[in-house]
Amino acid sequence: MDECEDVPKDFIKLKSEKLSVDEVSELVISPYCGAVSVFIGTTRNNFEGKKVIHLEYEAYTSMAETEIKKICRDVRQKWPSVKHIAVHHRLGVVPITEASVIIAVSSPHRAESLEAVTYCINTLKASVPIWKKEIYKDEYSWKENKECFWANSEK
Amino acid sequence: QVSVLYFARSAELAGLRSETLSVPREITSLQLWEEIVKVHPRLAVIQDQVVFAVRQEYVLIGDQLLVLQPGDEVAIIPPISGG
Repeated sequence: MDECEDVPKDFIKLKSEKLSVDEVSELVISPYCGAVSVFIGTTRNNFEGKKVIHLEYEAYTSMAETEIKKICRDVRQKWPSVKHIAVHHRLGVVPITEASVIIAVSSPHRAESLEAVTYCINTLKASVPIWKKEIYKDEYSWKENKECFWANSEK
Repeated sequence: QVSVLYFARSAELAGLRSETLSVPREITSLQLWEEIVKVHPRLAVIQDQVVFAVRQEYVLIGDQLLVLQPGDEVAIIPPISGG
C-alpha cells in the first residue's frame, strides 16, 4: 500500500466491457472507512410480457461524465463524511442478468454510504444522458426513466 | 455554426448522429428546434419529449434565449434511461 494521503476520490467510468463488482468496490475501500455500500443495476429478462433478448446502452459520454461528477459533488455536500465514490456504467450491448451500472460509496459509518448510494442511483436516473434500448424478438423499445422530467409518461 | 448531436430515438429519426448547422447567434430554443426540424421533419413527432443540452447544460424547448458561439455543441436529448 502506498502512503499517499487518503484523499477523497471519485472514480467514474463508462465502458463497454463487463463490469466487475470486485473492481468497483475495491476502488472505494479505505482504512478510514468501516462501510462500503454497493448498488448493482442488472438487466431484467422481461417487460410487459415481452421477452427481453438484451439491452443496448448509448451515452452522450462527455456530458454523462460531467453530470456524474456533479452527483459526486452533491453527495459530498450532503454527506461530508463520504470518502470515495465509484460509478461504473456499461455502454453497448448488455446481456440479461449482467450489470449495467455499479455504484460504490465508502464512509466511516454505514448510514452515510447507504444513503449516498441511494441518492446516486436515483439522481443518475433523473439527470445523466444515457439511453437504454430493450431488444425483444421482433421489435425494440427506447426506455424512459420515470425520474426523467421531460418524458411524457401519460402517453 | 454549431455542432448538433443526435442520440437514441432522435438519431434514428434524423438518420445521423451529428452535423454542423448554421443558425443565428441569438435564437430562442424553440426557434432552434424549428430550424432543426426543417432539416429533419421526422423529428417533429418527438417535440414534446425532448430537451436540448447546450454546451452540456439542459435547456427546455421554449422561450429561453440562447447566445451561441461558433463550434458550440447542441445535443437533442430524448427521455433518458440510464442506470
